[in-house]
Amino acid sequence: MVHAPALSRMRRAALTVAAVVSMSAMAACSAEGGSPAVPPGAGAPETAAADAFANAPVAAASEILPGSTMEKIKQRGELIVGGSLDAPLLSQQNPVTGQVEGFDADLGKMLAKYIIGRPKVKIVNSASETREALLSNGTVDVVFQTYTITPERAEQVAFAGPYYTSGLAVAVKKGITGITKPEDLDGKTVIAGANTPAIPAIKKVAPNAEIVTFGSDPECVQALKQGRGVAYVQDQSLLVANGKSDPDLQVVGEPFTTDPYGIGLKHADDQMKTFVNGWLKKIQDAGLWQQAWKNSIGTVVQGEAPAPPAIGSVPGS
Amino acid sequence: MDALSGNLPALWDGLVVTLRLTLLALAGAFAIGAVVATARVSPVPVLRAAGTVYVETLQNIPLLVLLILAVFGLPEIGVQAGLFTTAVVVIALYQAAYVAEALRSGINSVAAGQGEAARALGLTFTASLRHVVLPQALATVVQPLGNIVIMLTMNTSLAAAVGVVELTAAANRVNLIEAQPIPIFVGAGVAYMLLASVAGYVTGVLERRLAIVR
Repeated sequence: MVHAPALSRMRRAALTVAAVVSMSAMAACSAEGGSPAVPPGAGAPETAAADAFANAPVAAASEILPGSTMEKIKQRGELIVGGSLDAPLLSQQNPVTGQVEGFDADLGKMLAKYIIGRPKVKIVNSASETREALLSNGTVDVVFQTYTITPERAEQVAFAGPYYTSGLAVAVKKGITGITKPEDLDGKTVIAGANTPAIPAIKKVAPNAEIVTFGSDPECVQALKQGRGVAYVQDQSLLVANGKSDPDLQVVGEPFTTDPYGIGLKHADDQMKTFVNGWLKKIQDAGLWQQAWKNSIGTVVQGEAPAPPAIGSVPGS
Repeated sequence: MDALSGNLPALWDGLVVTLRLTLLALAGAFAIGAVVATARVSPVPVLRAAGTVYVETLQNIPLLVLLILAVFGLPEIGVQAGLFTTAVVVIALYQAAYVAEALRSGINSVAAGQGEAARALGLTFTASLRHVVLPQALATVVQPLGNIVIMLTMNTSLAAAVGVVELTAAANRVNLIEAQPIPIFVGAGVAYMLLASVAGYVTGVLERRLAIVR
């Protein structure tokens, strides 16, 4: 008994040493990840994305109105974007390069270039429960995060765009039969991403479905494969991407919703909204929007880039 | 405020799940905790070692990691239970380590002479623990056990991460539609506060009632 405290002190010391070592190892790793000496992940999308920024327009000085949000961002030299770091094809951090890649991320960089002159963004990892607060208290300048425009949200924030229209689809484990349309989900257990528009959408088409939610897309796929639900409802492009890498997954039917994604801005900042809508129009006319789509969602969805949705075409935008 | 009052049924359902999760996990944690604490003070070295390993392992892994391992890892080796059941078991096992430590500190606070006197009277290890040591030990640790009850109540919110729709997950879902995080999460916070203050009140009453005048 006398030795017990001494022992535990030794063990604690050993644990601390282990923790410090692993922490410094992690620090070393991230330092390497951020250093330019490490070659960036070679690949066509990377170079194409760089080209997209080279051609991306820069706003004329007269458009950066004095005292506006745009001027504030320009003076700061960095656009602060509320976004995700874990959304494949849209906004996902590449663990090798440390760069955030995807459709939302590229648009954010192009907007930064338009305001500041170079694609310098800082992504603040926001979540659907914090987006409105982050915008209204000025922590982030804009939100690019599959932010579906709804009239309820439009009371809290302003939306530029819509910049993209997507839809939810249903995926099942390969070999499961009896689910061909979303209505078939009624009375069944359905998996959805936590805080995704899939939850209200499932409730609408299948009111008696039990919805099980998990935080991330890989967790949802894993849960589907483990049989924790018969189907997984998620954005169609994401499901197609999952289906490509995982043969156990099968997308059934066509998308059953239309979700217009908007660029979240501070509520009632009309100057900024007009400015961002103007930028969106410019990059769409220049084919840069289409190029960003091809580099991201277009890598899993066949065919040419779709026609972008008309700006201001949905209630709330 | 409409965002809160208009969605009370959904939040109420979440609160009920939180309560069920809390009560079931609590029962499990106290039962397992008592066994582990007994093992840690037992005269058998193997039991003591097993108790120590249990406490050190469970206390030194974050609950969220344990939950995710149990929900996504165990099915890989063929062990799969429902999400609610898994959450109850994992939270119970995790909190049992804390209960065991609280109980052990209570047992250690009982003067060695008490145990010696019990043995001198011919009581066995179990009997001396049950009739002499534990009653005094429990009275000393009412407050720390009450804190563990509150901690467990708060920790049930982590089950939201593995698909259990308890209060936090319900609040998240309501907010997804209403986009009014402040009233909704303040409302959920008040509900948690009420649960915690009930636990605190009961603890206070018990402590006064069980106080041992030495």
